[in-house]
Amino acid sequence: MISRKVILTGSFGVGKTSLFRRFITNTFSEKYITTIGVKVDKKTVEVKGQEVSILLWDIAGEIKQDKVPKSYFLGASAIIYVFDLTRPSTYKNISTDMKILNDILPDSILKIVANKADMVNASAIDTISSELEESIDVITSAKTGENVDELFLGLAADFLN
Amino acid sequence: MVTTSQTKPDKELLNQLQSILLKDDRVTIERLQKTIDDPVLFSEKVSPIIEERMNFFKENFPKEFQATVDKMIERKLKASQEEILDVIYPVMGKMIKKYVNHQIQMVKDGIDESIKKTFSGSGKGFLWRMKNSLFGIKASDQIIHDLRDFQVEEIYVIQRNSGLLFGSASTENTIDQDVIAGMLTAIKSFVEDAFKREREDLEMIEYGTYKILLQNFYSYYIAIAISGTMSSSEREDLANELLNFATEYLKSLPAEPDGETFKSISTALNDSFIKK
Ligand SMILES: Nc1nc2c(ncn2[C@@H]2O[C@H](COP(=O)(O)OP(=O)(O)OP(=O)(O)O)[C@@H](O)[C@H]2O)c(=O)[nH]1
Ligand SMILES: [Mg+2]
Repeated sequence: MISRKVILTGSFGVGKTSLFRRFITNTFSEKYITTIGVKVDKKTVEVKGQEVSILLWDIAGEIKQDKVPKSYFLGASAIIYVFDLTRPSTYKNISTDMKILNDILPDSILKIVANKADMVNASAIDTISSELEESIDVITSAKTGENVDELFLGLAADFLN
Repeated sequence: MVTTSQTKPDKELLNQLQSILLKDDRVTIERLQKTIDDPVLFSEKVSPIIEERMNFFKENFPKEFQATVDKMIERKLKASQEEILDVIYPVMGKMIKKYVNHQIQMVKDGIDESIKKTFSGSGKGFLWRMKNSLFGIKASDQIIHDLRDFQVEEIYVIQRNSGLLFGSASTENTIDQDVIAGMLTAIKSFVEDAFKREREDLEMIEYGTYKILLQNFYSYYIAIAISGTMSSSEREDLANELLNFATEYLKSLPAEPDGETFKSISTALNDSFIKK
């Protein structure tokens, strides 16, 4: 059994807390209650017969990543950078944000997650991803649960390698 | 009548005339030239003048330049506010701590004094005092001790940055100790970041009747939840126990917490702090 710290970050309202809740308790709420400070919870998943404990940190969203206290990232094995497919303002800083995150944790896994997939159609997603300067790792919907488990199971598998 | 000089060429005549007329001036110029060329002579002449200017400057500086200097300092202060705070903050923190400790000591001394007066001569006081002196307990500590009863409820060894648990022990079966460890670390990061106190770490969190003491080490910290109240000397004792524990069990922690480590450290924590 291994334990790893994973942190959800990105702009506000993109669905970090929703992904957190979908993964930990398999629930979803339409209500938006902005996160203040940090919430930590845990879920143990099994990959290839091995148990991996994911300590997931859900933090308050910031328009730019340099506003997030650095110490939140320290010791994290993976950063999940979430943006909202319905709001361009949540991915317009993505390149600078990636650079900032890379500088803080050069050795960690960095995943770019496009959330709220249930609200846009496939061709809109294609357009966004072709115009984006970075490549999207996982397209999710916290509402329908699409790709949420896959995201975390994928990370757990990465930790074992 | 024509003089000899008149026969001479005009130029020479003019020269003669000049040397006669300008003789004094020539000497003066020569002297001046010498003064300027000779550093010693020059400084002799100039120094008093400069000094006088300097004196004037000194006397009138505040009046003439106050406003400019004030503006300069103000601007400088604004620009480096953070750095200045960084320097002042820890010093102030220590000063306040020292002052508070001093005040507490004075209160304690007061208690000792009044107890001495109350019990001197009486049989009960004598025995009591003897017991105390035998065991080296001061009266004030004894009285404060009687008021309290502290208990280590939970203890965690936590990796400093990640908040991952190296080991834990508890009086009750607490679930999700690693979530608590994560939250504690998040709170700690938040507070330390919010107050930008890089030199000082968060040392205690109070929650209802619980106190959570945090003892910081280099790559990890130990969190202890305590119920009841404890004196500063007991806290000191506990801190020493923690140091001993750390040197015995936490010298070579793995880079990533694992199951093996967790078991052995948790057992050791339980034996040393919970089961006592
Ligand atoms: N339709 C849809 N709505 C979503 C999805 N994910 C989140 N939302 C909604 O978006 C809003 C914001 O979601 P949160 O999860 O609170 O966003 P957050 O990133 O945690 O926001 P902050 O804590 O303020 O940084 C809420 O109203 C959610 O219900 C999704 O996948 N689909
Ligand atoms: Mg949130």
